[in-house]
Amino acid sequence: MRTTVLGLFKYVDRLLSASEKLKGEGFSVTIISPVPLVHEIEHIEGEKKSLLRYFTLFGGVLGFLFGTVLALGTSALYVMPRGGRPIFAATPTLIISYESTILFGVIMTLLGFFAIAGLPYFEGMPHFKGEAQCPEAEIDSFGLIIEDAGGDKWRYIEGVLKECGASEVRKLED
Amino acid sequence: MEEKKNNKFTYREVNEDVINFMTKTGPLYYIILAVMGVSAVTLFFLPWLYQVYVGQGVTGLNVPVLWGVYLVNFVFWVGIAHAGTLISAMLYITKTPWRRAVARGAETMTLFAIVLVGLFVFTHMGRPWNLYWTIPYPNHRRLWTSFQSPLTFDVFAISTYLTSSAIFLYFGMIPDLASLKHHATGWRKHLYSILSLGWRGTDRQWHVQGRATMFFSSFVLPLVVSVHSIVAWDFALSIVPGYSKTIFAPYFVTGALLSGFAGVVIMLSVLRWACPVFKKYITEMHYDRMGLVMLFISLVWSYLTAMEVITGLYADNTFEWEHIKYKILSTPSMQLFILMIFSNTLLPLVLMVKKVRNCAVSMFAVSLFVLIGMWLERYLIVPNALSRKFLPWMWRDYCPSWVEVSITAGAVLFFATMFMASIKIFPVISIFEVKEDAGIPMEKEGH
Repeated sequence: MRTTVLGLFKYVDRLLSASEKLKGEGFSVTIISPVPLVHEIEHIEGEKKSLLRYFTLFGGVLGFLFGTVLALGTSALYVMPRGGRPIFAATPTLIISYESTILFGVIMTLLGFFAIAGLPYFEGMPHFKGEAQCPEAEIDSFGLIIEDAGGDKWRYIEGVLKECGASEVRKLED
Repeated sequence: MEEKKNNKFTYREVNEDVINFMTKTGPLYYIILAVMGVSAVTLFFLPWLYQVYVGQGVTGLNVPVLWGVYLVNFVFWVGIAHAGTLISAMLYITKTPWRRAVARGAETMTLFAIVLVGLFVFTHMGRPWNLYWTIPYPNHRRLWTSFQSPLTFDVFAISTYLTSSAIFLYFGMIPDLASLKHHATGWRKHLYSILSLGWRGTDRQWHVQGRATMFFSSFVLPLVVSVHSIVAWDFALSIVPGYSKTIFAPYFVTGALLSGFAGVVIMLSVLRWACPVFKKYITEMHYDRMGLVMLFISLVWSYLTAMEVITGLYADNTFEWEHIKYKILSTPSMQLFILMIFSNTLLPLVLMVKKVRNCAVSMFAVSLFVLIGMWLERYLIVPNALSRKFLPWMWRDYCPSWVEVSITAGAVLFFATMFMASIKIFPVISIFEVKEDAGIPMEKEGH
């Protein structure tokens, strides 16, 4: 049986101090919030790198190649002489490549976002772990989820959360 | 500079206000929606069907004026689409906080405006079912799309813009849909649960959401510039006097932004009047900032308009002279030109006065004139230049037929119908961003 603890906070500074303390003691901690706390978390933990940029870069490069090959390749396959204009023209090719760079970049960024954020996340999916649900944290509270909190750990975690100012602490088991 | 945090509302209040607006609907809304929907069908789709059945002869188009009001509308609606992306992307990159409350509405406007852009391509096509000719694919006739044609650039630019805008709009809505599913019941709960994709709002998800927004913004911003530049090149790459101008790309982009911002102001005003609770979120400060942006863009547009005329005169080319005389000194173009200058150059100067910018009614009025002026600008370019194309025996005045006028008016109603229907299904205000406006709750100040 897996035990998870959920602490609800009204204030973000309280939540972050609890998170810092529990992380320092080796617990696996997840913050859930109705607004992004990226700046606040990075203020304490430093800036985090994201793999997303590689998705974006890959999409952009792929799009550029797609546009270039489409415009130049089809000019080679279907030769259309037009009043002395070049068969392979750089400027129009660049315009097509520019647009397809953006299109593929945007699509790959979206796919990267889904992959890294673990979305879609529905019951029955291979990566669904059935973590604690915290509807309040999608509205007006800030939640701290501590995984693997069974046995003696639960009392200790509850104590830390209450000491740091949690308005509510829940023990969830599955 | 960071704006002062607005603490007039709580996080829960934001959720409740948005869901109440979406779910508590009086009969007046349905009556207005039905009237607009029926009018849109009557004025837009029925005349279009008539035109498809009878042929392009029911329009005012004839040699040499084969680009008329449909393409004026095409350019106009591309312009309306621009402010949504600009507000979302550029103001996000520059970390301008006042964008938060207005960005979602502007993005929604963008999407529906691009839908109209697509429709106007089809209304302009004599035989819309031949669309497949424009799509590049191998075929037995050995025909292929010319990638050197600006019309092909258009296909790529508009379809990229439509896809990117739809992704940008939906992506930004995911946390809000997750938040709303807890308040919603019935079909809404199911819909929001599915569309929110199981978003939980974890620190990891927010982190990647922020990064993705920055990447999307960085992509979409140059896209805005490229889309309207390409629309401008539809004209500027030709040799027709009045079209062949190197200034057209920045001129069109500036005009697009001016009309787009005016469109956003009108949308926000209607939203505030229809739902007074939104006055908490869309404040006089938003009008003030948008008024300043409009004033600045209007001044740039005025400069470019002057340059367009002056460079034409300076070219000292008889064809160009004829075009300018026709555009500025002949009736009815002269009257339309004067109205355009009044609407886009003179009237926006009142935005220098703070009281005018902070007043919803005056901003609405100025924006309405700007929209009329910007439509006229496109009208004075698209068919007007073709009316005086080179040799005098080819000259012909253009007057839109009732079919074209009806489809133009119907498009406005169709746009309003789509917008009205969507704001009852999807949040028109970005919930999590407005919550950010209220501030992050800290026990100790200055954290």
